[in-house]
Amino acid sequence: MENVTHRWYILFPNHHQGLRLNQELKKAGIRNQIAPTPRAASSCCGISLIVAPEDLEKIQSIIAARGVLIEGVVELPVKTDWQYRGI
Amino acid sequence: MADYREMWTNLGMDLEKHDQLCEVLPEAFGGVFLSQQNRPAGMDFYDFVVSEIHGVRPAELIEHQKQGGKVFGTFCVYVPDEIVFAAGGIAAGLCGGSQFWVSGGEKVLPINTCPLIKASVGARLDKTCPFFQIADMYVAETTCDGKKKAWEILSQEVPLHVIDVPQMKRAKDIAAFEGEIMEFIRVVEDLTGNKITAEKLGAAIKLINAKRQALQRLYNARKATPVPISGKDALLVTQIAFYDDPARCAQMANQLAEELEQRISKGEGVFPADALRIMIAGTPMAIPNWKLHHIAETLGAAVVVEESCTGTRYFENLVDEGGQTVEEQVRALAQRYMQTNCACFTPNPGRIEDIVRLADEYRVDGIIDVNLQFCNLYATESFLVKQALADHDLPVMHIETDYSEQDYEQLRTRIEAFLEMLRK
Repeated sequence: MENVTHRWYILFPNHHQGLRLNQELKKAGIRNQIAPTPRAASSCCGISLIVAPEDLEKIQSIIAARGVLIEGVVELPVKTDWQYRGI
Repeated sequence: MADYREMWTNLGMDLEKHDQLCEVLPEAFGGVFLSQQNRPAGMDFYDFVVSEIHGVRPAELIEHQKQGGKVFGTFCVYVPDEIVFAAGGIAAGLCGGSQFWVSGGEKVLPINTCPLIKASVGARLDKTCPFFQIADMYVAETTCDGKKKAWEILSQEVPLHVIDVPQMKRAKDIAAFEGEIMEFIRVVEDLTGNKITAEKLGAAIKLINAKRQALQRLYNARKATPVPISGKDALLVTQIAFYDDPARCAQMANQLAEELEQRISKGEGVFPADALRIMIAGTPMAIPNWKLHHIAETLGAAVVVEESCTGTRYFENLVDEGGQTVEEQVRALAQRYMQTNCACFTPNPGRIEDIVRLADEYRVDGIIDVNLQFCNLYATESFLVKQALADHDLPVMHIETDYSEQDYEQLRTRIEAFLEMLRK
């Protein structure tokens, strides 16, 4: 993903839904990035999709048309001062 | 979001402590991986695996157990996975690569033990890794003194079988390893209740060979200039290969390799064509240890090959598939595994020959020979590596490090100076 100040995360009830939307967006030629869900977005672990804000409207219509279950869309600032740390 | 807390509770995990690990992973993964440009689309699968790292694969292993199958946790590339799969079991790599687990290991191990061992023991004792909780048996080996003693501690927790890996490579040592594999067959048969036949073992040999071939194909793509995939991404593929389903691993690695081959045909890369090409040689980097790759690649150099157990040692050399009896197949297995060159062997000229050969194949500009802190074997062997590489006019720097970020800036400065020297 390009350098941005904010990222939009789509959250899912389970990974099946996340992978489904990932495939649907790929088919539609819409950029999306699989990522671990940040703690600021949800207290549970698992897959989320990072998408571009300008694509959100199209993505919402795909979600509705394909019946993909999501738990919401969260906008989070990108940490620009991130330093490597041993996990 | 996917909620695995019930599964983790049933596994007896310490949820509160484990949550601290879950909290830092997304940010670290974002900082190390998602900050990269132009990643191959095929990395989607591996990003997914990391996103669900303690969820999806553990759930698959538990489902396997519900169907009566057994899971064997392993710690080394000398453990012949073929035996486990031939008996209908699943082998999953358990090596700990997280600083998060080190303090748990230090409760029972000397501080001057390598971080891989401390993390592996800590992950189990702190109950913060589902894979360590799931395994019905740990399959250990004798590749260093620290590990040998750690197994005695872990065996108080989990049934544990130790494979005695020879320390020399004479004909009698290879024959002894054949004997170890035969004994391992009996252990696996006893635990699974399944007989290992020549037919089943032959199929398992083909299964694991296919995985090795796929990883080799992926690594072959890294020989191109410009390199079509970052070292960080390639390392992640290998790290995940240790515990993923082998057939799926081969399929996904082949898909990714195909994409990389297309990139090569178009001259597309993730680093400029004139970027320095670096080999990292030495001790393994278990997931989520991405430190050195991150330093080198954020300094503009491309890591194009790893001469390590989380690199070429994992997949080079295939097992001969021509064996018709279990005895013949076991001999072929012993011969293949004894071609792997670990510093636990004496003498170990094969490893230096490997480094020189790989430097040529991957056209590297310089080599970072690294060992995990307190790994006496690789640290001592670094003298011989340096000596031999000087004879071949191959620039090398030696680094000893651990999983923490304490020496991050110091390492960055040293590697930057090394790269600067290579550019002159």
